[in-house]
Amino acid sequence: MTTMDDSKKLTWLTVAFYWGCIVFGLSLHAVIMVAQDTYRRHGAFAEAWQDFRLHLFAPGYNFFLIGVLNALPFVLLAVFILFHLGTTATKEPVIVSRRLAGVAGAVAVAVGLSTWAHLITVLHPDAQGALVYFFLPIYLLGLIPLGYAVGRLAGNLLFKQPAPTA
Amino acid sequence: MSPKHIWLNLGGLLALIGLLGLLYWQSTGVRAIPAMTDALKNSDSKVRVAAAQMLAEIGPAAKPAVTRLLDQALHDPVQYARTTAAAALKTMDLAAARQVMTASIRTLKGEDTPARRAACTVLGSLGPVAKPAVPDLIVALSDVDETIRMHAAGALGEIGIPATLVIPALTKALHDPAQPVRHRALTLFAFSIPPTEAVTPHLKQLSEDKDLSIAILATSTLNSPHRQTQDRAGTYMAMFSYQRSAATYALPRLAQLGPDASTAVPAVIPILKDEHPLHRYLAAEVLGAIGPGAKDAVPALTAALQDEDAVVRESVAEALRAIGAADGSRKAAPPK
Repeated sequence: MTTMDDSKKLTWLTVAFYWGCIVFGLSLHAVIMVAQDTYRRHGAFAEAWQDFRLHLFAPGYNFFLIGVLNALPFVLLAVFILFHLGTTATKEPVIVSRRLAGVAGAVAVAVGLSTWAHLITVLHPDAQGALVYFFLPIYLLGLIPLGYAVGRLAGNLLFKQPAPTA
Repeated sequence: MSPKHIWLNLGGLLALIGLLGLLYWQSTGVRAIPAMTDALKNSDSKVRVAAAQMLAEIGPAAKPAVTRLLDQALHDPVQYARTTAAAALKTMDLAAARQVMTASIRTLKGEDTPARRAACTVLGSLGPVAKPAVPDLIVALSDVDETIRMHAAGALGEIGIPATLVIPALTKALHDPAQPVRHRALTLFAFSIPPTEAVTPHLKQLSEDKDLSIAILATSTLNSPHRQTQDRAGTYMAMFSYQRSAATYALPRLAQLGPDASTAVPAVIPILKDEHPLHRYLAAEVLGAIGPGAKDAVPALTAALQDEDAVVRESVAEALRAIGAADGSRKAAPPK
């Protein structure tokens, strides 16, 4: 593989991570709500979608605000990824791999935790359940750097600098 | 990645944020009124309900939707759509809300039992605006149908004023032979209407009710610290002074306190000039319920006789009479 190919591949990966994070953060709540409602209505997707749209700005529901709140840590993560991976020199493949491992750790924590929290809230409704949507972004902001650190540590263990030739 | 690529992607993010902001701006506040008014015609009752709730949130600015809301409140085949429309009307046009009240009273006096039950619920959703319906609801508390009695008790609790009529009627409902009626009346004293000293012996009696849920609720109502709070007027004043939207909750409770709420007079007077007709109406109701103790409010009430809303003017005139000032109705501006 040529250096130009590596560069294009990294650019593609960076852009994919960047927009993937933003779109995931914005749409997670919508996807889970519509999927759960479609299941509850025995496959009536159109009705579930209409019901969701109806409550986007409705008082007491405000699904739009929930989507925006959930997207906040993902947007910050996306911007970090854009600069962190976007400015990596491709001629140092070990550094690239380690950074990718760190980013993968951060993304895994953000995606895993928010998906779990949203699923639990929807599947086990509770009077105070909606508080999750307020506190989740705060928890994520603390845990995303932790995920990055774990991923980076794993990357350091997996991708060693080649030993200098004698 | 070149710096140009990075900035291009950041620009894309900013454009997305801008689009979302525009979507929010267009879908909320007064800009949403035309779409919500159209949604009131939707064949799905859930859409009609949500549209009515959003219009209620917008308040007096949603007045262009009154005609369609009135139609929904009077004729919608789905009861919940009717009650949400009625509840929305009271936030924007008190005269329209009173039209719903008049029609519901007519239905309540009719023969159709399910329609009469629904009428009680609609009257309750109008809240204190449906005060003139209180005598008819008290009559409904003696109906042969226990569901009507239960809904009538609920409606009286939501209307809440005048306390001199509502509290004795609900106290009587505490001894209804039907458990659901007793439970509904007791729930109101437990959570909505602060029980007066006269209610205490009845609550004590209910704490030994054969129905365990009623006995427990009566005991917890008797032991509630809220019931023993001396400065209730101060608590309610603090509510709407901190957040004006709390006035819809706090003012009817002040009105229920009657003369005991006289310390609230200076805080209530400015609400007579509030932009929400419902708040102005409730302020006049509080001052009227306080009676002669609200004499400091007479100049403000006299000025409020020129209020643009006929229902507010009527309530102001009543308040002036209750305070003992010159006959307010004589000075009231003619209906517009």
